[in-house]
Amino acid sequence: MRHHARRPWTFYALAMLMTLFLLFLYGPMLVIYILSFQGPEGGVTFPMVGTSTFWFEEILRPGQMANIPAAFGRSILLASLVSLLTVLISVAAGMGFRRRFPGSGLIFYLAVASLVMPSLLVGFGIGLGFQLFGWQPGLFTSALAAQLTWTLPFGLFAMFAVFNRFNRAYEEAATDLGASAWQRLRHVTLPILLPGILGVAMGSFTLSYDEYARTTLVAGNRNTLPLEIYALISSATSPTLFAIGTVTTAVSFLVIGTTLALVIRLQRRRAAALR
Amino acid sequence: MPHPGFSRRHLLGASIGAAAGSGALTGFPTIWAQNIREITLQHAGLTVTALPQIAERASKDLGFTVRMQASEGADLLNRFLSQSSAIDVADVSITYLKYLVGRNVLQTIPLSKMKHWDQTIPLFTRGEYADGRKASTEGVAPYTVLYATSEEGKAFAPGPTEWLTSMPSITNADTLGIRPDLVGRPIASWADLLDPAFKGKAALQDQPTIGIIDVALALQSGGRMSYGNKGNMTRAEIDRTIGMMLEIKRAGQFRAFWSSFDQSVNLMASGEVVIQSMWSPAVSAARTRGIPCTFQPLREGYRGWGYNLGIMKHLTGLKRDCAIEYANWYASGFEGAVIARQGYYSCQPELARKHLTSAEWDYWYDGKPAATELPDPFGKPSVKPGEVRDGGAFSARMGNIAVWNSVMDEDRYLTRKWNEFITS
Amino acid sequence: MSITQPAEHAALAPRPTRRRRLRLSPRLVSLLQVGPLGIVLIAFFALPTLIFLVVSFYDYDRTGIYPDFLLDNYRELLTSPATLRLYLSSLQFAFIVWGITLFLGFNIAWFLVIHVRTRVMRTVLFLLCAIPFWTSGIIRTIAWIPFLGRNGAFNSALMDLHLIDRPLDFLLFSPFAVCVTYVHLFTLLMIGPIANSLSKIDPALLEAARDAGASRWQTMVEVVIPLSKTGIALGSILVFTQVMGDFFVVKQMSGGQSASIVSALATEIQAMQYPPASASAMLLVLFVALMVAGMMRIVDIRKELVR
Repeated sequence: MRHHARRPWTFYALAMLMTLFLLFLYGPMLVIYILSFQGPEGGVTFPMVGTSTFWFEEILRPGQMANIPAAFGRSILLASLVSLLTVLISVAAGMGFRRRFPGSGLIFYLAVASLVMPSLLVGFGIGLGFQLFGWQPGLFTSALAAQLTWTLPFGLFAMFAVFNRFNRAYEEAATDLGASAWQRLRHVTLPILLPGILGVAMGSFTLSYDEYARTTLVAGNRNTLPLEIYALISSATSPTLFAIGTVTTAVSFLVIGTTLALVIRLQRRRAAALR
Repeated sequence: MPHPGFSRRHLLGASIGAAAGSGALTGFPTIWAQNIREITLQHAGLTVTALPQIAERASKDLGFTVRMQASEGADLLNRFLSQSSAIDVADVSITYLKYLVGRNVLQTIPLSKMKHWDQTIPLFTRGEYADGRKASTEGVAPYTVLYATSEEGKAFAPGPTEWLTSMPSITNADTLGIRPDLVGRPIASWADLLDPAFKGKAALQDQPTIGIIDVALALQSGGRMSYGNKGNMTRAEIDRTIGMMLEIKRAGQFRAFWSSFDQSVNLMASGEVVIQSMWSPAVSAARTRGIPCTFQPLREGYRGWGYNLGIMKHLTGLKRDCAIEYANWYASGFEGAVIARQGYYSCQPELARKHLTSAEWDYWYDGKPAATELPDPFGKPSVKPGEVRDGGAFSARMGNIAVWNSVMDEDRYLTRKWNEFITS
Repeated sequence: MSITQPAEHAALAPRPTRRRRLRLSPRLVSLLQVGPLGIVLIAFFALPTLIFLVVSFYDYDRTGIYPDFLLDNYRELLTSPATLRLYLSSLQFAFIVWGITLFLGFNIAWFLVIHVRTRVMRTVLFLLCAIPFWTSGIIRTIAWIPFLGRNGAFNSALMDLHLIDRPLDFLLFSPFAVCVTYVHLFTLLMIGPIANSLSKIDPALLEAARDAGASRWQTMVEVVIPLSKTGIALGSILVFTQVMGDFFVVKQMSGGQSASIVSALATEIQAMQYPPASASAMLLVLFVALMVAGMMRIVDIRKELVR
């Protein structure tokens, strides 16, 4: 299909759908971007009361209601750790699930149940457990555990999608050619799985970065970004929220754009070297 | 910002004096030893009080470190149980005291250690207004949850004792917020909330006790219901009220049931809603956007509420002494001035006054027109010269409480009925 | 691929002499690989859940919960008219949102995997779909309010175009607003797994189907959908569980007019009423697990893996 020069009509129909979906996705985001440039007197709804960069400055100004930069730093750190652990644990588990083993059904349904168990209660229960053992709750202990009960099922199911129809012959061939288990994993299995693993890493990072209900009752005495935002909307209202959204998007585009450019350059150089 | 006569040395001297006076039974003088520098007090609070400027100032004045963590009120309540060890002192709604006392979460504070007790408003200490009138006892009146029967703090005492469940800090009174440009007629009573003229343009707070009390105020003044105690209804009263609320909901009266400050402001600012019960800072927030919005005094009076500062059970020794010292600092005015600039009242108003300019005091507490432009706590202008606070002076607003926010005896039943109401 | 292949390999390639080493049984290897996941889920999910299972039988009042074995919490839950309404309304949301996200997710995944020719373009488009997700869900939910409100961007645009002369009220604080927000938040959960499944389909297979005279529709139904059913099932589980477990979106976007199972439970938690909240959570988990088990009867994800 790929080498047909002429596109079938479905291409145009789906391209249209894709465009509409992106419009739908970015429509309200656009509202965020516009409203973040509200004048100092304006609020979080239309009309605009002048334009300014006041609310961006507000994010960085110390002593405000919410300490966004610090909370942002903590969220990034926590999300990175969650993402790393999720990748390690769910890749291993995904491999394990390729065979029948006793208890596989139990683990599977535990994962499903963990996705639906009301998040507030998961956090609450973990908090009670920590108290029982006299452990100090904190972002990198109890909150980390609470978030893993959320990202791991996602990671596991994503790995199911990755391993589904994964051609095991490659692995077996590697074994037959004398590769050790480690060599096989390093040189055969992981490269094939890499796109999927990156997906899990990105996905679990996003889930953790945005997690509220599981974290709130076991966060210890430091807030993550969502907790700070939620606290903020409970007693104040300002376009600072939207400024955060705009900055996040800008930074995402910047990071992704740079990475992509680097990868493309690297590929070109490699291609040139091969020639 | 003037803060006459207030310095660390001043406080230090006072506390040593107090300690000497109390016979140093608790080893109080040791508090000023070198090792208090290593103490960190974790204050879990509301977004309006858990501000860095308060923490910095307290740390500077007291010699130990205070750190703030802001969170939403209901989350804060549950954190008392899920992670009590991560909290040292906390803002506690007086209604939540009904849930907490008896659950072994807070420790009592000896009344003798409270330095500013004589400056605390009698509404909290005795249930009386400043002029000696008895205040409403409907709902959870602050003084009814202030005193504990014993040091263990397992139950409330009906009258003053030597043990406080927590220290009074913030109070305010809520009423209806309206869009004067859109309601089209004068609003004078809670009954107007249910006027069919505002069909599809009224809102309630999605919180069982607050929501039902607002409706009860409206039903009662409309002559459609009468209550023994609106803040503590019987099952029959709950049934009848919820029944009428269902009819009103089906008739399309309510545009929304809001659950956050942000939501209530946006409902009003966008014109989705023109009449709803509101917090006064939410009204100010709508107004600073150039939207006409009034915090409307009503003839039946206000729905009052308050927050106290509580000390967690697990604090002992030096850290406990520091927490008590912090509570005294908290009452001493700096924090009161910061919350005043957001439209909330301190329970020790005369101490807050020392940290306010006279123009600020006149506007926020005395109901006089603002003499100059007044800032919010972050230095941003929030009140224009000549503006007058809705509802007037502190004594007028906090002198006319119809009912207090509440947790009812039939709380369990009410929650069920409320869920039925919201889902239908 | 068939399992006979390694044998062929073995026959073709001269087998190098192997070091003798400890060989674990495959089942044991699996257990070790799944072990960390199992430990986390058991310690931080199963045990807390067990506590709540026990607590769901407890008695409670305003200041405490008391060990007991009462069925009252379940009785009140099952006899309350609110429960049935909540499940019906949550299921309704779940099915509508599932239908829309499945349609969007499948078509977009198909477009990305099959129609987009270069890898870079595919990555760029996928990331375009993903970037909004790095903005807090709270902010993204709230952002719909100025968009859909009476005086919002959408109504203003329609009025400016003279398509309507009065703002549309049903756009905001309505089931419509809730569905729109869900679709906005959850479609990516469908795109990801389906795209993953589709990318494993050999293009030669599609061509073969076409050469054999199958129409587009036939190819889709006979070849593509059966080969991507794992992705579809996974995406469905994710979307379904998300909608059933939500409490923030439904409150914000319906303006409190609708509730969800978890938002009602949150009201109980806010009043520290843990036993009825636990009972409600148990019912929810059981209900969704049964729904997923039903789904597994149609597409057994685990079986697909084991082949």
